Amino acid sequence: MKNDLWVEKYRPTTIKDVIGNEEAKTLFVEWLENKRPTKKAVLLYGPPGVGKTTLVNAAANEYKFRIIEMNASDARSEKAVNRIAVPATSFVGLDKFSSEVKGNMLFMDEVDGIAGNEDRGGVSAIIKIVENTRTPVIMAANDPDLEKLRPLKKVCLLIRFQQARIPLIIMALKKICEQEHIKYEFEALEKIALNSRGDVRSAINDLQGLSEEGKTLTVQDTLALSLRNKDISMYDTLKGYFATKSIMEVSNLLNSSNVEYDDLLMAIGDNMPRRYTDPGELAEAYDFLSQADVFRGRVGTENWHLLKYFYNNLAQAAAVNPESYKSFEFISPPIRVITLFWTKSKRTLLDSICVKIGVQCHVSKYEAKMIFVPYLKLMLQQKKKTNTLIEWLKLTPEEVTFLTGLKMF
Amino acid sequence: MVILNKKGFKLPRVEREKFILLIRLGLEYNGQDILFSIKNYNNINQLRDTLQDILKSEVSFTQTCIICSTDFGCSTCKYSESCPTKDLPFSCVCNRCLQPKKVTQQQLLF
Repeated sequence: MKNDLWVEKYRPTTIKDVIGNEEAKTLFVEWLENKRPTKKAVLLYGPPGVGKTTLVNAAANEYKFRIIEMNASDARSEKAVNRIAVPATSFVGLDKFSSEVKGNMLFMDEVDGIAGNEDRGGVSAIIKIVENTRTPVIMAANDPDLEKLRPLKKVCLLIRFQQARIPLIIMALKKICEQEHIKYEFEALEKIALNSRGDVRSAINDLQGLSEEGKTLTVQDTLALSLRNKDISMYDTLKGYFATKSIMEVSNLLNSSNVEYDDLLMAIGDNMPRRYTDPGELAEAYDFLSQADVFRGRVGTENWHLLKYFYNNLAQAAAVNPESYKSFEFISPPIRVITLFWTKSKRTLLDSICVKIGVQCHVSKYEAKMIFVPYLKLMLQQKKKTNTLIEWLKLTPEEVTFLTGLKMF
Repeated sequence: MVILNKKGFKLPRVEREKFILLIRLGLEYNGQDILFSIKNYNNINQLRDTLQDILKSEVSFTQTCIICSTDFGCSTCKYSESCPTKDLPFSCVCNRCLQPKKVTQQQLLF
């Protein structure tokens, strides 16, 4: 019974089955059926776990579209978008006239994640595609108010998704229980739904975790559930983490903490030598921590089903030797974060110097930093004919002082 | 509190700018029936604020039960305090449909 994830098993295959957001669904269907042809693309936005991706998949299934998906795990630079999305949206295949498939549908999930150098030119490439598309283009985002998405919003029909209501979640849980032949107390489902805070996915996962075949799901069973998104600070998380007595205890704590995964990983790494004074135990704990780091990397922004392995390894690192715990003063926030904070002004200054070198010498910021700055520093320290150089590079006195005293090279 | 039916409700006469704002926020006006209805739900929070300003009272919209299609207010729901989205969007399950079905005497006999 527990082999399949119920979230996948009961993923809606028709639009009607997607829970809640009736208005959003109606708007989306009207657009898909071309009743609102003013915009060629649609942007679905709302919090995670409310059914944006599910609706697109269900619509593709119902209207027999073939989904060409680009999500956060794909590079979405201009080149990558043009390579995948242009062929998918510019040509109408002969299969459009078949009864099996009605053509392509381009779905770009998590467009608010398009960022940085890797995805350079991505947004403008998407806009071009939307202007010339011959097939439906659908995008999904959690936060549409980001500055970088502003041009995208102009060419899209915006459809907002809200969190699922508690009664709707209860109905969904009831349906699953009936199909899985699980007896339940109504109050138990109520508790799971209330605990999920509008996230259907987590509610179904909780139900699967708590239910057992041939046993009635009672309110007592749901007492083990910890409230999601509970505001547990970094300090309290570390305190609970290091003082833990069992893997189960630490798992529950990590599930209810809202500390960023990466910050948590760094903070635990920093504090581990204070927790384990025995080198053998410390090595074992770091081994689990490194495994957790590997899984954090694999989780990325979409493989959330791997998160349990991340948590599991973190929990094992905490429980190497619960008996040896003695309270200690935590290093928090993580050393790396503190270092970045203290060096921010210096890094900004170095960046501005590198930009100036780059402009004059026609090199990138990176090249300026790695190749030019060390020599420039030496020249400035020797103070021979430096005035011409300073004038040519348009360096300020502050920048000259900074370069002269630079310790990194 | 004023409970408005999203399919059609009346408003007191408003000045031109306010009327334009309401239309921009997603209301539709039917001149024949002199009724406003909600056409676009994207700016619903702003729309509700504007309506509250016009009506000088807290505004709530009716919900439609996805099972029995009856309209009901959020105030009747026992989860209204802990509801993550308050009275938006406009579809939910009414108390009657949500409650576990009572087993009839006939069913018990089987």
